[in-house]
Amino acid sequence: MNCEECQENLSVYLDGELDESVSMSVRTHLTLCMECAKLCEDFAVILDTCQTEPPSEIIPPNSQALWCRISNSIEGDIKPPSVEEKPQQGWRFSFLQVGSAVLGIALISSLLTVVGIKNYFEPSGEDFTSRSAATQTTFEKILSKVGIADTPYEARMRRMKEQESAISYWDKRVQAQRAKWDNKMRDAFDRNLNEINQTVKEYTMILQQNPDDDLSGEMLDSALNDKMNLLRDFSEL
Amino acid sequence: MIFNAVNNARFIFEGKTTILLLLSVVFFFAPTEASAQKKFSKSYPASQNVRLQLLNRSGTVTVEGWDRQEVSISAYLETPAANVAPQSLSGTIYINLVKDNQGRGDVGSVNFTIRVPYDSKVDIETKVGNLNVSNVRGGFVRAHISSDGDITLSNIASGVVSAQNGIGNIFFDGEIQSGGNYRFTSMRGDINLRVPSNSAFRLVATAPSTRSINLGSFSGGNMRFVGDGRRVVGQFGDGSATMTVTNQRGTIAFIRR
Repeated sequence: MNCEECQENLSVYLDGELDESVSMSVRTHLTLCMECAKLCEDFAVILDTCQTEPPSEIIPPNSQALWCRISNSIEGDIKPPSVEEKPQQGWRFSFLQVGSAVLGIALISSLLTVVGIKNYFEPSGEDFTSRSAATQTTFEKILSKVGIADTPYEARMRRMKEQESAISYWDKRVQAQRAKWDNKMRDAFDRNLNEINQTVKEYTMILQQNPDDDLSGEMLDSALNDKMNLLRDFSEL
Repeated sequence: MIFNAVNNARFIFEGKTTILLLLSVVFFFAPTEASAQKKFSKSYPASQNVRLQLLNRSGTVTVEGWDRQEVSISAYLETPAANVAPQSLSGTIYINLVKDNQGRGDVGSVNFTIRVPYDSKVDIETKVGNLNVSNVRGGFVRAHISSDGDITLSNIASGVVSAQNGIGNIFFDGEIQSGGNYRFTSMRGDINLRVPSNSAFRLVATAPSTRSINLGSFSGGNMRFVGDGRRVVGQFGDGSATMTVTNQRGTIAFIRR
């Protein structure tokens, strides 16, 4: 019998439930193997303690040695750590790279600050929505490219959408009120609205043919504002 | 025979009586029709730099500067139902016919003639009708017509002038003050600006539909046409004032004063 077979049968052996022949083999091995004999002794003590004392007072004899063996057994099952050196995590930069990065950040921050201050103190009289790509500054083009700012076309479309939404709101109010107007008022309103609608139509057509026509974009914006104001002015009557 | 003659005479007499009665009825009601136009008058003592703020519905508004420190308001109401209730608050005379007659269809036109001190600020607005302002040199003059109507601003010496209408003409005759701001906007009509030849202003004049921008004696120098002749931009003199003129479907002309 070897150690493995002996340790497998040790618990049953202590319980006295092994066949006589196997029990004899275990006993023989225990006399020859000190390690198995010690393990058998520990098992026997544990069994005895469990049978005689309450669990709260279980203190194995020579507990330090028992824990040492358990610890050794666990460490034996764990694979030893690889001796290969792990590659170092993270980036390594040269002094030149770090310097360039710092300089770049400083430059961008300065530019943004200058542009911000300029826009704050000197608001442009020109409406961005009425501008074309041709009149965009390089900085604005970069912002448009990276998606931070609208392109002039996008800005115009967004503005038109807002204006149309406002026009729709005021138009509903006008429709609710116009029955109360006299004929003179109604005729004047219709005539002016028609004039503005024709203007809007003209500029829309021009812009379809030439989306970069700054002036038509500006005039369309102005005409839509006029329409909104006309509707708003008459809605309060 | 005699009977017939008497009858005829009686018929003629009765006919004449009928005509006379009808005429008397006509003459009786005719003055009544004329006097249906109600008049409203009120005066307010004016402080220095008094401000007039008027919002009319329909009708002609005439504002004239005069040498008295009072504001005189005369209103001619087309229908007696119209309510005119001016208010004087903190140096401003408010007249708001829209608010005072909200939701009413029987208001009709109201024609105003208002006299204000020369130094007054004038802010007048109407939905339909003409606006006239003359002899005013206060801080600003604003005349706004929502739809149809002509604007006439004559003998104006204000630093800020704004005139806007829908369909109608705009005429300005006045000074361009240093550092001032002048804006004239129309949808369709003629914009005529009569200013002194020594005026100094930066100009953006746009007439995209007609491309009719006549600079008169102000042409040349730094003025240049842009956008295929739809706009003129430039500077006259030292360019200390700003002038923006936009006429969507009409003409623009400058006249030397």
